[in-house]
Amino acid sequence: MCGKFRLLAACSLMALVTVSCATQNDKNTSGIPQEENETLESYNRGMFKFNYQIDKYVLKPVAKGYRAVTTPYVRERVNNALANIKEPISAFNHLLQGEFKESGINLSRLAINSTLGLAGMYDVAGGWGLQQSKAGFDDTLAKWCVKDGPFIVLPLFGPATPRSTVGMIVDAVTNPIYLATLDAPSSTEDKVSYGYTAISVIAFRESTLDLLDDLERNSVDFYTTMRSAFLQNRQNKGCLNGNENASYDFDFGYEEEDQIFDEMEAD
Amino acid sequence: MKKNLFVALFTSIFLFSASANAAVDATQAENFVKKVTKEGIEEIINANVSQTVKDERFEKLFNNALDLNFIGQFVLGRYWRTATAAQKKDFINAYRELNIKTWSKRFDEFKGKNFTFKGTSPSNSANQIFVNSLVPMDQGEPAKVVWRVKQTGDKFKIVDIIIENVSLAITARNEYTAYIKSAPGGIDDLIKDLQNKTKV
Repeated sequence: MCGKFRLLAACSLMALVTVSCATQNDKNTSGIPQEENETLESYNRGMFKFNYQIDKYVLKPVAKGYRAVTTPYVRERVNNALANIKEPISAFNHLLQGEFKESGINLSRLAINSTLGLAGMYDVAGGWGLQQSKAGFDDTLAKWCVKDGPFIVLPLFGPATPRSTVGMIVDAVTNPIYLATLDAPSSTEDKVSYGYTAISVIAFRESTLDLLDDLERNSVDFYTTMRSAFLQNRQNKGCLNGNENASYDFDFGYEEEDQIFDEMEAD
Repeated sequence: MKKNLFVALFTSIFLFSASANAAVDATQAENFVKKVTKEGIEEIINANVSQTVKDERFEKLFNNALDLNFIGQFVLGRYWRTATAAQKKDFINAYRELNIKTWSKRFDEFKGKNFTFKGTSPSNSANQIFVNSLVPMDQGEPAKVVWRVKQTGDKFKIVDIIIENVSLAITARNEYTAYIKSAPGGIDDLIKDLQNKTKV
């Protein structure tokens, strides 16, 4: 157990150092993802390929198998139960962000859905107007104005940034499953945490099957598409959240280009 | 002191964007997007007609609602300027075909779902405005869908769709410019690749 902690501490430290070094963002001022530096790009593309192969031969077939043996009804129960387990993480992070009301909603949802919702399988609280609102440590760091850093593809975990990596590690150690099994004998601890992780990963991959297949089919450069979409999606996390259009409010430079276009149509 | 500066900054941004959008009629822009989504849901998704008729209707709606010439030139980025007239035309056609094919297939996923409109937000570009909407998901929180609308005279066209902060135009621009940069045949390779994708 001590070893586990030491490893985590080392990882967090490494990631934090990367964050503080990451002065350069992969986005310009209006939030449009920019071309990346060549060394980083060639590493990222290599790792992306590696992850893609693992996904193709291991994870995706398992996710398809899971879909084949379950009904949408069953999968929804599983997803609800998994989301319910993470409710305390959201409560914790909303608290850190000073969002006390949201934090309270997370805790109420946990209490209601864990009992009346049969271990979280049914979202009873949602039906009562207590809508789900997720928050992780990455969101908290964003609220605290910690810079995101460059896009990196992690082995197995996939697209990330230094900040999202720190967020992921902190979310993992504040996960109720992790905390609940800390004092358990290590064989039980392993079984529970591996089982939980496996179910979470498979359920998540199943939910993204159609979307990712579609993206890949229509894409001429899947890596760039994923990178661009990943970075844009993170735009809503920000300490200056007031200007919510900033990320996609690009300027066409319409006057100049319209003129060229007119010439083209005149041909 | 800091607060004053922030207020001043905010006001200037607000004034700037307000003046840039003086020409856009927010209510009409929102009504235009409402009409488009309503037509899509009522006359395509929920209509009791064959898939072929649905595909035809979708293509028509797509061409009427979106300004593909405008989107196409944004998507090509700096390569638009160096492309020949024929390349521009071929690219826009290929891009149009690919989008029609992709979206008509995925369109049925919106079955039984209604967009909730949440007003508009100003854009920094002249004659443009963002129409905000939410669409319920099968699970979890509803998805944020923002429509970028351009007004020309009394006509409106959609020039971008932003789903959960991911702009389709920006994503395509990143993808296509990266592709052209590394492809030996440049833009011609891209056009060929896009055409092949629509054939399958």
